[in-house]
Amino acid sequence: MKFMIIMKADKNTEAGVMPSEQVLTEMGKFNEELVNAGIMLAGEGLHPSSKGARVKFSGGKPTVTDGPFAETKELIAGFWLWEVKSKEEALEWVKRIPNPDGTDFEVEIRQVFAAEDFGPEFTPEAREQEERLRAQIASKQ
Amino acid sequence: MRFMMLMIPKGYETAEPDAMPDAKAVAAMMKYNESLQQAGVLLALDGLRPPSMGARVSFPGGKPKVTDGPFAEAKEVLGGYWMIDVKSREEAIEWASRCPASENEVIEVRQVQELSDFPPDVQEAAAGLLELQGRSGQPKGA
Repeated sequence: MKFMIIMKADKNTEAGVMPSEQVLTEMGKFNEELVNAGIMLAGEGLHPSSKGARVKFSGGKPTVTDGPFAETKELIAGFWLWEVKSKEEALEWVKRIPNPDGTDFEVEIRQVFAAEDFGPEFTPEAREQEERLRAQIASKQ
Repeated sequence: MRFMMLMIPKGYETAEPDAMPDAKAVAAMMKYNESLQQAGVLLALDGLRPPSMGARVSFPGGKPKVTDGPFAEAKEVLGGYWMIDVKSREEAIEWASRCPASENEVIEVRQVQELSDFPPDVQEAAAGLLELQGRSGQPKGA
């Protein structure tokens, strides 16, 4: 099962504050463990929302709003993608995320949709299309 | 430059665990996905199951505290994402604007951090991980 582990933004990440050397070192070790355990698929950090934008759609027309998005408590600072056997296994790893500074932070764990999660609405043609798309992406990297 | 297009569907914060996307909307989205792929900008994409199947972990006083979904206080949640590799922020926004999204959906466009965005000492500290992931020191498109 594939899970997305979402690191929520806070004042520091939104202000573009760089993590301390200790945080970087411990996070590096943790990431190494994830890779060695064979569960790490991806991990990325995002620039603050002040550099981003939101696109809304009204009557099919897009409207662009520039960041920052201070009004939302749900901003994302980064994420991991992990391949694990269960939600419990994902939770066990999440509990071990290093936090040498003892700061308050929150992580959200969400399962990623897989082809087998869908019913007959996901037709053989659509499945084939999806598989082809993923193969093309994989070959590009 | 890599960008994430974060799909935020209003109402998904209260969706039932077995909620599935509408087949018609998926078909339209697949066409859009193919156009991203054919333009050579698509790096990855995924859909997320409803938050009612997920969990949040906070760390009050350094101790992990697990809360199962749905998350009552959440006014918006992530429904899925695309990772694209484009030449500029404008191009990323242009792609987001072309998405066959509905009125209740918002796409947040956020730039992904590249190693080259960091000061030299941070780059050095992170170099080992990239090696482990089998990536070159310079991520694609940076």
